[in-house]
Amino acid sequence: MRLITHNMLSCNIKGVTNGFPLKIEAEKVIEKEVDFNPDFLRHMFAKIEWKALAEAARSMGYAELPDDSPDAAVIESADETFLRKLHHALLELHLEEGALVCPETGRKFPVNKGIPNMLLHEDEV
Amino acid sequence: MRDVKLKPTHQQQEEEDEEENLSSSSLSVKSTPEIEKKYVHRVYDAIAPHFSSTRYAKWPRVAAFLESLPPGSVILDAGCGNGKYLGLNPNCFFIGCDISDPLIRICSEKGQEVLVADAVNLPYRDGFGDAAISIAVLHHLSTEERRKSAVEELVRVVKPGGFVLITVWAAEQEDKTLLTKWTPLSPKYVEEWVGPGSPMNSPRMRNNPCFGLESIPESDVSVKEQKEDEKSLESIPESDESSTREGMKMMNQQEYFVPWHLPYHRAEVSGASASALASGLAKKDDRKGAVVYKRYYHVFSEGELERLASGVGNAMIVDRFYDKSNWCIVLQKEGLNKDH
Repeated sequence: MRLITHNMLSCNIKGVTNGFPLKIEAEKVIEKEVDFNPDFLRHMFAKIEWKALAEAARSMGYAELPDDSPDAAVIESADETFLRKLHHALLELHLEEGALVCPETGRKFPVNKGIPNMLLHEDEV
Repeated sequence: MRDVKLKPTHQQQEEEDEEENLSSSSLSVKSTPEIEKKYVHRVYDAIAPHFSSTRYAKWPRVAAFLESLPPGSVILDAGCGNGKYLGLNPNCFFIGCDISDPLIRICSEKGQEVLVADAVNLPYRDGFGDAAISIAVLHHLSTEERRKSAVEELVRVVKPGGFVLITVWAAEQEDKTLLTKWTPLSPKYVEEWVGPGSPMNSPRMRNNPCFGLESIPESDVSVKEQKEDEKSLESIPESDESSTREGMKMMNQQEYFVPWHLPYHRAEVSGASASALASGLAKKDDRKGAVVYKRYYHVFSEGELERLASGVGNAMIVDRFYDKSNWCIVLQKEGLNKDH
């Protein structure tokens, strides 16, 4: 699971209002190189919840992102240094083994072989 | 001292049975009904590698939709199956989900970004996707409420102005001989498992002595395989079965079991077939050397997909078409402001 996906995932247990972002319990993290695409990253910047991404990256062992969202100017600038960090965090880190934890209920969604299982139990729907 | 009665009285048993019926009908729309667990989930889990090996042809209408999306789009595929469409547009980022873990593992092995999730209840926050697709998924949902819920989810998870493509099997099949290979659900099944709103679930249907098909004919072949075996058109031994079939068709039959033939060598590898056979969910066809599974389908009649989508308040239908025996629709989520 990449952090781009994690930034979208939310706990959908019935009654939960505060299911995002899921906390990451990382047991195994790997890195896989992906082609750098600055336009895509700029497009993604508008969608992502920054704090969630920064904290998730930290849980995965990558602390290069600032906790607070940078200005749009930093993203738009020609200097790609920052964008490369965003690229690495968003697309190149993979949670292979671990869990995603609902901030409200503590429910753990397992991640095995890079695949999160977000299915709910009968009593959670 | 009186002995405590452990066995319920006849009256008590009747009340318990009624409660069970009531509680199953008052299950949340997000709960998976038994018919889907047995005849969708378990089947796909058992046939996943074989199923995946037959799913490679990219449907041009779906490809065209995906290729029309702007570069950099995040595309959500809910019910992605073996991931056939994930990555089809190399300029977009796809995130796929499916309820079948074995199918998702196949996607993952291809390097796709996927997760196991339920299309009726997507674990996604609102508006993240630029577009979403649901290709041959909704027809596996057994109630209108669940189908509507799945459409609402697709709209919810895309951004304002985002597009959603949905395709489903049509009741109006181009190849009418296919229908003879499918088993229509009898009213007994419909009453137990299919929700309200089905045209089959009316008192007139249920009380009609003509309908009572319990057994599944042995020689059905899967939709994909029927071209390989032209002679497999089933002989109907009894005349009343034949008239029953005609009767079913006239009654706007939309609930079917469609067979999937899993070759024996594939079944042994999967391992799931032993328990499926033992529990009666699948049967052996020695003549074909295959384990025959039944997949549940609610096929859509003309206009039904549009009616379903019209019920979703914050989306407009922007395209609708019939292609290769499927009803298809494109929705656009409202709320697009001029700055986008």
